[in-house]
Amino acid sequence: MSVADNMETVAVTRPDRWREYRRMWATFSRSYSALLGLGLVSAFLILAAIGPWIVPFPEDALGSIHLERKLQPPSATHWFGTDEVGMDIYTRVIIGARTTLWIGLTVTIIAVLIGVPLGLVAGMSDGWLREVIMRVTDVFLSIPGLILAIAIVGALGPGILNAMVALSLVWWPGYVRLVQAKVLSVRNETYVEAAQSIGASPFRIVFLHVLPNCTSPIVVKASMDMGLAILGAASLGFLGLGAQPPYPEWGAMISIGKNYLPDWWWYSLFPGLAIYLTVLGFNLLGDGLRDMLDPKQRS
Amino acid sequence: MKMLSRLPNLLAAGVAAIALNTAPVAFNPANAAELVDNKLYMVIAGRQEVGHLDPAQKYDVAIRMMLQGLYDGLVKYEGNPAEIKPWLADSWSTSDDGLVWTFKLNPSATFHDGSPVDADAVVYSFQRTMEINEGPAWMLDGFVNPDNVKAVDATTVEFTLDRPYAAFLSFLPWWYVVNPAVIEANKGDDFGKSYLLENAAGSGPYKLERFESGSSYAVSRNEDYWKGFPYENDRMGGVIYRLVRESSAQRAALIKGEADLVTGLGPEERTALMDNDDVLVSTLPSLTSFGLKMNTKNGITADVNIRKALAFAYDYESFTQILNGEGKLQTSPFTDAIKGYTPIADMPTRDIAKAKEYLAKTEYPDGGFEVDYVYVEGFELERQMGLSMIDAFRDINVTVKMIPATWPNMVAMGSDVETSPDLLAIFTTPVSTDPDAVAIQYHPASHGKYFGSHFLDDPELVALIEAARNETDWAKREPMYHEIQQKIVDLQPEIFGMMRNRGTTHRKWVKGYADSPIRMEGEIDFYSVHLEP
Amino acid sequence: MIRLIIRRLVLMVFMLIGLMAIVFFIANIAPGDPARLAAGPDATNEMVEAIRLDRGLDEPLVMRFGYYLANLAQGDLGSSLLTRRPVLDDLARFFPATLELVLVSIGFAVLLGVPLGMLGAVYHNKLPDQTIRIIAISGVALPMFWLGLMLQWYLSLELDLFPLGGRLGIMTPRPETITGLMTVDALLAGDFDIAREALWHMVLPGLALSFPALASIIRVNRAEMLETLDKDYILNARAQGIGSFRIVAAYALKNAILPTLAMIGLRFGWMLGGTVLVEGVFDYPGLGLYATKAAIRSDFDPIVAVTLVLGASFMVVNLLIDLAYAALDPRVRAQI
Repeated sequence: MSVADNMETVAVTRPDRWREYRRMWATFSRSYSALLGLGLVSAFLILAAIGPWIVPFPEDALGSIHLERKLQPPSATHWFGTDEVGMDIYTRVIIGARTTLWIGLTVTIIAVLIGVPLGLVAGMSDGWLREVIMRVTDVFLSIPGLILAIAIVGALGPGILNAMVALSLVWWPGYVRLVQAKVLSVRNETYVEAAQSIGASPFRIVFLHVLPNCTSPIVVKASMDMGLAILGAASLGFLGLGAQPPYPEWGAMISIGKNYLPDWWWYSLFPGLAIYLTVLGFNLLGDGLRDMLDPKQRS
Repeated sequence: MKMLSRLPNLLAAGVAAIALNTAPVAFNPANAAELVDNKLYMVIAGRQEVGHLDPAQKYDVAIRMMLQGLYDGLVKYEGNPAEIKPWLADSWSTSDDGLVWTFKLNPSATFHDGSPVDADAVVYSFQRTMEINEGPAWMLDGFVNPDNVKAVDATTVEFTLDRPYAAFLSFLPWWYVVNPAVIEANKGDDFGKSYLLENAAGSGPYKLERFESGSSYAVSRNEDYWKGFPYENDRMGGVIYRLVRESSAQRAALIKGEADLVTGLGPEERTALMDNDDVLVSTLPSLTSFGLKMNTKNGITADVNIRKALAFAYDYESFTQILNGEGKLQTSPFTDAIKGYTPIADMPTRDIAKAKEYLAKTEYPDGGFEVDYVYVEGFELERQMGLSMIDAFRDINVTVKMIPATWPNMVAMGSDVETSPDLLAIFTTPVSTDPDAVAIQYHPASHGKYFGSHFLDDPELVALIEAARNETDWAKREPMYHEIQQKIVDLQPEIFGMMRNRGTTHRKWVKGYADSPIRMEGEIDFYSVHLEP
Repeated sequence: MIRLIIRRLVLMVFMLIGLMAIVFFIANIAPGDPARLAAGPDATNEMVEAIRLDRGLDEPLVMRFGYYLANLAQGDLGSSLLTRRPVLDDLARFFPATLELVLVSIGFAVLLGVPLGMLGAVYHNKLPDQTIRIIAISGVALPMFWLGLMLQWYLSLELDLFPLGGRLGIMTPRPETITGLMTVDALLAGDFDIAREALWHMVLPGLALSFPALASIIRVNRAEMLETLDKDYILNARAQGIGSFRIVAAYALKNAILPTLAMIGLRFGWMLGGTVLVEGVFDYPGLGLYATKAAIRSDFDPIVAVTLVLGASFMVVNLLIDLAYAALDPRVRAQI
């Protein structure tokens, strides 16, 4: 096989690409769970986008209190009831989607931005540099992420920003592992070796030949990680280490709501359901994306 | 409401059906008090862990509660209002210059091992605490030298003070007497500090039975207590303090009868329990005050007019609303139970016009600035206060940034004038009813401590406080404290808040429960409580 | 093989030192003042300084880390600033509790996950399969702490089927501590009632903790079973009329052992992390609760020690699973 042949398979022509997309969508849309995931994620994104304009008591999300109507059960006015200072829980759950989306995106993006370059470097280089990167990665992976995140937030002090920093710091190593493994497998493919032999610069090789091969698994992992990051942030919020009042954040709402179980059950029930459905959505979407982009990985 | 709260049961039924099939036994303790060897054990469900049992080390509410059961002091606080009662000491006298205090011990007092509580033991205990220099050591620091605590004879102890100290006696209830023989036998290289972490060497009404760190702590009644008990109930066997960290679980344990007394419930939960026929919910005013300390030396609140403006903008009614009425607004920097308390006429109340008047005298006549509000992470009440503050300050165009901090971080912030926040939420329970215990909080001696985060340093006030604490004649002291209260209000180093009523929640078969406002919320005095199911 | 194990162990020591270094430095950037905290609220400044000197808190960080390692080499993990108790004693008390809980929840995950996975495959794409798949997918999406709260609310508060929390009933006499695992200790003392009671206390927290692992185990077992069902020899066996389900199950089980083990290894860390969330809800006195309390109070000797222990147990479990893999599958043996 000549070098030229291989180069061509990498650069697909335009009509072929459309056909490829159609095939992918067909795979994706055949799976109910993937569609459910897409639906949940879309609903979540839409609520995050238009939330402030559709909620009945927008001022409640900013900490406007109404002590005269505290802890009321769900009703036609307050769909999810009210909390201990009379704020509408429905409003706060909807607005909380913004907080959650923000946390999930930030943590995932930072993790990708740290993890992917390190993984590329570790995969492309030999010797001590790879050893250092991979060993540090191993150390971070050797402990449950949540424990490390708690130690970090405990040190920095509670707060939404610190929680995001802590989660990002424990999230990147997964990407290093993933990308490094992928790079190693691609590195010895003929077309990469060929490109090397004709004197292409390492940068060119990484960006033209190696990185495109890593995008699918990165996208799949990122989608899954959105869900996990949201779960992690909610866990920190639950422990009282995450978002601060009056900011509406689901984990923090449950953390306070748990004091009001069982009589005022609506306080912790609805934010919990919101977390569950959102994380479920991202997981199902991630699954669907994997089947679509990376059929070989299917388990 | 009733309908809705039952709704989830439908869901539960399904889950339960599965669970029942595999259930060997449901551990459902009999709906009566716990019995061990046919003796009644009272179960207290609390949230705060007991760190250790050494009277000479750091104390907090849980530690103090256990110590009061296991040990005796020379004197003891009892009743409402709190009074100092003779305990190990039958009587005492003071020299005319207020320097020499002589205590006569009760000759019948014995330690748990049967040996007498004599003057040597008292001297040993005071010197041990001063030597270790932790825990209550600060109370007598600078007033009593360890060498000046002397045993005159077997039942007489004499303290010679370096200078007169009006509050001296009011601190002694927190100095417990340990059994020197036991400490010496387990002294180690740290004066028995390690040994006393999980062991006791006292003479108190209860003996240590089990210390299960992080879980539960059991004490059994000392049947041969030298002082006897204030009730007739031979079936009373002991007390178990059990950690239950969620208030919902605490409440459930109380309703089920797994716990006889629970501490630290929130106002809503207490209100919900009032309908329960087996449970008694009652309240008592306490010494504890809740206030928002402002940094008077640094930042925007350094300007007294800003402080006044905030104080007049604050919505004081929300305090009592959040507490479902179980609180009382402060009418002086001193809480009602403090000796020498007097209501101050011009204590700020919510008055937006007045707040704006004060604001007009500042650099920010129209508001438009932000204040930081730092409070303890996870402290429900302080969080709700913050939310109500956001609402209240909106009326003078001031925004509030709520910053929850862990207790150590908060203490660290408050200990430095540069980092001390604009507003710091603080609950303070003075260790004594003597007015000096409150007044000293506004003296530079308190700078660096959490309740001194205002960094107030007013020469006139300082002179007044110092003069008042060195005076021993109450007739002369009282007017000085009236003046001090007025002066503190004028300087407005904090938004004076409220005295939260202390709540007690227990099964009706708990008898003899006696609270004293000097104790902290949830600090139960085991001595008089017993069960009569 | 032995040499490989030794190599892994040596590597582990270095990784643990790295881990400690990371946590030690993180824990020390805290703005809090541990000495003041240890001294108590009313302490004078001199008292605070005395504690600072006594604990060496005034020394540079690198020196302190050096001392820490030196002490560690002698088996001294420092002591809690708050309770003054040696951290080693606390770990000895709390780690077995957490280990027991995690083992119970692994038990739940396997006992429920394997049959559910197979059931799903047998009823491929039918209602039971769909239900089981929802459970499997939910396992990873459900916030553990919330699940725990809800279980506690329904089954304990409302229906009174399970205890609210703790390890044993309040008045139950404690068996003598031998292993620290309450059930084992009770059995060693010959007391079945206490063993059962201890187990009963672990049902709800164990269930909440087992969900993510349960999900993974359902997935792998379902996949293995589906694959086995497709195999020719199964069809042959069925054709010959041999008790078909027994055979299918036996084949699939055998094939599912390895991936199930792998999943346990993968999820073990999650479970250890999850104890932080679940133990608090159920007042279960274990390492997770201990760690949270320490983190909230900037009590760093316990924080460092807990991460050390959790990291070490995570590594040991994964080593054990790799070894089990090697023992069961000759192809893997060469790769360890």
